[in-house]
Amino acid sequence: MLNFNSPIKEEKKYNDLNIIEVEPIIKINLRSNKREFSTKIGKILSILPPNEANTSSGNEKFNLLWLSSDEWLIYSNDKEMSLDDQTNLEDKLFNEISKLNQGAVTNVSDHWVMINLNGNKVYDLLSKSCPYNFNDFKNKKGSVAQTIVNRIDVILHHKEDDNLNLFVRRSFSEDLWLWINDSARFI
Amino acid sequence: MFIINCPYCGERDQSEFSCGGEAHIERPKQPTELSDDQWAEYLFMRKNIKGIQFERWNHIHGCRKWFNVVRDTSNDKIHAVYKMGERPPIK
Amino acid sequence: MINNLRINKNNFIDQTIRISFKFNGKKLFGYKGDTLASALLANNIHLVGRSFKYHRPRGIMTCGSEEPNAIVQVGKDSSLTEPNVRATEIELYEGLEAFSQNCWPSINFDIGGINNFLSPLLPAGFYYKTFMWPASFWEKYEFFIRHSAGLGKSPTKPDQDLYDHQYVHCDVLVIGGGISGILSAKLSVAKGLNTMLIDDKDYLGGSTIYQDDDIFKINNENSNVWLKKQIETLNKIPNLTIKHRTSVAAFHGYNYLLARENLIDHLNIDERKGKIRQRLWKIRAKKVVIATGAIERPLVFSNNDRPGVILSSSIKKYIDYYGVKTGENISLFTNNDSAYETAISLNKSGVKVKVIIDIREDSNSILSEQVEKSGIKILKGYTVIDTDGYKRIKSFDVMKLSKDGGSVVGNKITYKSDCLGISGGWTPMVHLFTQSGGKLKFRNNDNVFIPDENKTPSKQISVGSSNGDFELDDVINNTVKNIKIFLGLDKNDFENLNIKCSKEKQKRNIWLLPSNKPISKTKPFLDFQNDSTAKDVKLALREGFKSIEHVKRYTTTGMGTDQGKLSNMHALGIIADTTGTNMGDLGTTTFRPPYTPLTFGAIVGRNVGKFFDHTRRTAIHDWHVKNKAEFENVGQWKRPWYFPKNGETMHQSVQRESKAARESAGILDASTLGKIDIQGEDASEFLNRVYTNAWSKLAIGKCRYGLMLNEDGMVYDDGVTTRLAENHYIMSTTTGGAANVLSKLEDYLQTEWPELNVYLTTVTDQYSTMSICGPNSKKIIKKVIPNLDLSDQSFPHMSFKNSKINNVKCRIMRISFTGEHSYEINVQSNYAKDVWERCIEAGKEFNITPYGTETMHLLRAEKGFIITGQDTDGTLTPSDLQMDWIIGKKKYDFIGKRSLYRSDTIREDRKQLVGLLTDDPKEVLEEGAQLVESLDKPIEMLGHVTSSYFSPNLNKSIALAVVRSGKKLKGKKLIVPMENKNINVTITDTVFYDKENKRLNA
Ligand SMILES: [Zn+2]
Repeated sequence: MLNFNSPIKEEKKYNDLNIIEVEPIIKINLRSNKREFSTKIGKILSILPPNEANTSSGNEKFNLLWLSSDEWLIYSNDKEMSLDDQTNLEDKLFNEISKLNQGAVTNVSDHWVMINLNGNKVYDLLSKSCPYNFNDFKNKKGSVAQTIVNRIDVILHHKEDDNLNLFVRRSFSEDLWLWINDSARFI
Repeated sequence: MFIINCPYCGERDQSEFSCGGEAHIERPKQPTELSDDQWAEYLFMRKNIKGIQFERWNHIHGCRKWFNVVRDTSNDKIHAVYKMGERPPIK
Repeated sequence: MINNLRINKNNFIDQTIRISFKFNGKKLFGYKGDTLASALLANNIHLVGRSFKYHRPRGIMTCGSEEPNAIVQVGKDSSLTEPNVRATEIELYEGLEAFSQNCWPSINFDIGGINNFLSPLLPAGFYYKTFMWPASFWEKYEFFIRHSAGLGKSPTKPDQDLYDHQYVHCDVLVIGGGISGILSAKLSVAKGLNTMLIDDKDYLGGSTIYQDDDIFKINNENSNVWLKKQIETLNKIPNLTIKHRTSVAAFHGYNYLLARENLIDHLNIDERKGKIRQRLWKIRAKKVVIATGAIERPLVFSNNDRPGVILSSSIKKYIDYYGVKTGENISLFTNNDSAYETAISLNKSGVKVKVIIDIREDSNSILSEQVEKSGIKILKGYTVIDTDGYKRIKSFDVMKLSKDGGSVVGNKITYKSDCLGISGGWTPMVHLFTQSGGKLKFRNNDNVFIPDENKTPSKQISVGSSNGDFELDDVINNTVKNIKIFLGLDKNDFENLNIKCSKEKQKRNIWLLPSNKPISKTKPFLDFQNDSTAKDVKLALREGFKSIEHVKRYTTTGMGTDQGKLSNMHALGIIADTTGTNMGDLGTTTFRPPYTPLTFGAIVGRNVGKFFDHTRRTAIHDWHVKNKAEFENVGQWKRPWYFPKNGETMHQSVQRESKAARESAGILDASTLGKIDIQGEDASEFLNRVYTNAWSKLAIGKCRYGLMLNEDGMVYDDGVTTRLAENHYIMSTTTGGAANVLSKLEDYLQTEWPELNVYLTTVTDQYSTMSICGPNSKKIIKKVIPNLDLSDQSFPHMSFKNSKINNVKCRIMRISFTGEHSYEINVQSNYAKDVWERCIEAGKEFNITPYGTETMHLLRAEKGFIITGQDTDGTLTPSDLQMDWIIGKKKYDFIGKRSLYRSDTIREDRKQLVGLLTDDPKEVLEEGAQLVESLDKPIEMLGHVTSSYFSPNLNKSIALAVVRSGKKLKGKKLIVPMENKNINVTITDTVFYDKENKRLNA
């Protein structure tokens, strides 16, 4: 087995704020503008990709985030999912979608680092460098936003009240992590 | 900083977008048929209007979609946004 | 001399807490709640600075952000000292140390003061006229100007204070916590709107909060008492955020505003540690209420700038709010009723008001009548014509105004006073309104510019005195009425308030008051900070300047740190009078952000030090750090530059690394290259259109190098793309070009070629790439991935294989950027460090040598491979790079194709890429050095060096360069002229090493 090397290895706690990197979970990017696509995804994941902008669908196993009119992100809730199971899922999707020209399936598990932020200061923290208006976002379970935090691209997924998952590209993750921890001192 | 109403994601801060210059300049389908002057017209010539201007914008830090914006450059008021391939909703 | 001018009665400062501070080294005392200005005045210190040009003594003139004179240097510490701070805005704290600016060697004896006597020689435009010519003298002038001018001292060390930013989105933003702002905020929260109320002071209530007189009543309570009760209920409202000590700096379009909050400047030094000093609020408000009030105007007459000449309303605030007498023997000079309020306050506090000079013939308001009753002498229809006193006003001269106000008549009367309060009426603070795009209109009866309701940007409103309402009943009634319409409120809050106040009945305004002397003999100051006078404005007009913007720049009126808050109206008025123009037609100068100066710290926030720019790290970064790599910034990436061993210099490391890579094995972290996953039925056609060469026939499992152009035919990016499956490719881009290439390709797909079924997904961070090169690379790969068939038949150069290391999938490409036999392993980033370590371990017996970007550059230069962005600069076509072979001539079209035969791109004398060898093989050229043919003047520049190295493998210096008509010049001798020598070079082929590419299969 190869050694897994995650860019962020800590958990941090501040007043009213906890920040943790969530360990290796599978993330798959989906692109399609074909009609069959939705049904195929539904069959494989038992959830349909959302059509409404800035929303997500999900079940106990997976979340499916709207990224664009023809783009979605799957991520698993299961930290224990084995590498073989991950590979199998990816292959299944790839064979059903990419190979049949129904769209594009791309593994992005290591492209994105997922950080969980929770606590009632979460939005104060993000708003230090994020121009996004969270007023509606924070009241709507499952809402999704792609925006920038400290000028770094992120995807935000609202899990429940004051609890969200932030996705950041791996190469930027340490930089953003340092920024988050720096700013957390001042909220 | 404007607020731009992305036709896909809704209202977002300008810092999530990048501007791609004048809209509705179609790439010639048969460039080889064009004279140097005709090609130069496509390649280099752009309007620079004080007033209503049609622009291309990309929601680069969001959905990555390109779309069109009708903006009054004299006061930055955005009169309309519409998707690529759609007709401008105002003249 | 009396040194305590404090009276006992006051409600706003805490006389139980005494605070010590130093001004110009002298220890003084004030109280909690004082500003530096009020504490200085309480200590009878008026003289606080010298003026900019003439170095005239100047005193505290106001009590707010409009202060032009009392600007001081705060603190001595070389990293924390701050220049240009207004003493009227510094809240006193224990240990405060402040210094006068603009004076040398001391405030009381200032050498620059000689300029005052030279002032006839320093008229408007003096700097422009004198220092313009000849240009070569500018250096000397600059030295002189900088030496004698200059406002304050910059800190010499990095700022240790902390600053940050915060976005906020609210329904309603109310700017200004005076009575109209408070009413607006209360109405807004009553409607249930998320409201933010901002005020630059540490308390709310504006000037009404200390307006304690029976003349001003709301519902039978004194106005200050009524207002205080309103404020007390504010703090209990959940949907209201109040920001004290916060000043709006800018009002941009789309209701985007910047406001600076001061968080610690009022604290004692020992309470500040670890706290944010200033926070810049970035506010998006659905609606904005501007309630920024008005500031009092000075009056313009000769020597109106002496210390002790203070705005009348400021005198009132100093006595009513701070309990400080600004003099023992005060006189007032006015053209309106508000000076009478000051007189009443002074009278109540037991300060003698000697005389009130009113330029109006008559004034019979409640206020003036009450003052007359109290026995204060009032001279109606008179004007002050001059003042006397050097470091403090001692006396002033008065004469009767002629009927038309254009001259003075009768005899001069002299009054002795140590303080003269002046009031020229009120100017609404419309700065933020105009910043946001609003247009002003001129109200003739009291000479004010006010927001034009027909030219107000949507979703904002101006209320109170910033909208031109100056009487208490107008302020309240109009604010309530207009805010209800603005916010769509039908509640009857604040209706039928019973308001009692004085009403001003007479108005008279003279922009430049007449004197008994010719104007050339007077010094009527307009802009106190920049020392420009009414004379200067008149001179500018005589010299032909007509536009207000030009007059402003020529005379520097309104160009100080106060942006002419006090001076602009008079400058306009004098221009209008002199040119016979209506002020409304003249317009105002543009008010630009910031309203008050911002610190650099507040602007950059936390983006300093390690957060100055982003740092992108590869998955193998930690290994590089542990193995002592020196890093190079490539875009935002940190890439290993070289790996010094045992104290090697960079040159020594690079020579060792380059030799090892060719003689045995080298390994490079190439993870920073952009990677784009391309899928879809039309993927091949898409690549045909974006690259110059043909892609349809590329077999599955093969790799190909591609060149991407802009539509103008110039090389834009390059890289190797691999066909993974029928409709599946992976494209690599340059490190710096990755984001732009993706964006450009998406642009074409979405706008020009929507018919193509292609999907692009960036996977730059998903896969890490390590490149293992050299004659022993195959053996190393064999050890790391034993079951991979590495034979040349099965796995030739420019092909790829899927494989697994343990159970982790990886892609192996046999491609080379060094010219050596080499492999690239692409693996999921989270496993990359392990794979890298396995390669290092497996390569130990072959002395595998990690190398950085410098060695990579050297090795590719030996092979004549270009680096886009280093050897190209957006002006070179493939043909210019001698890469005609990569243009698919049979292809109908690709991006940039048509431009390759424009008249300009087919010129033979374009700059073209060539190789260079120095005659002395030890001589290494400088990148960027110019190439010439002869040294006879005028010397013609033929091109420049783009890449240059000492090659250890060839044991000589090599270089690439772009040279005019270079392709035809092989063998030609050129010269590289350097500062201290001329280097002889010869143009060669671009490939220096292994021209037959034998080593790829070695
Ligand atoms: Zn969007």
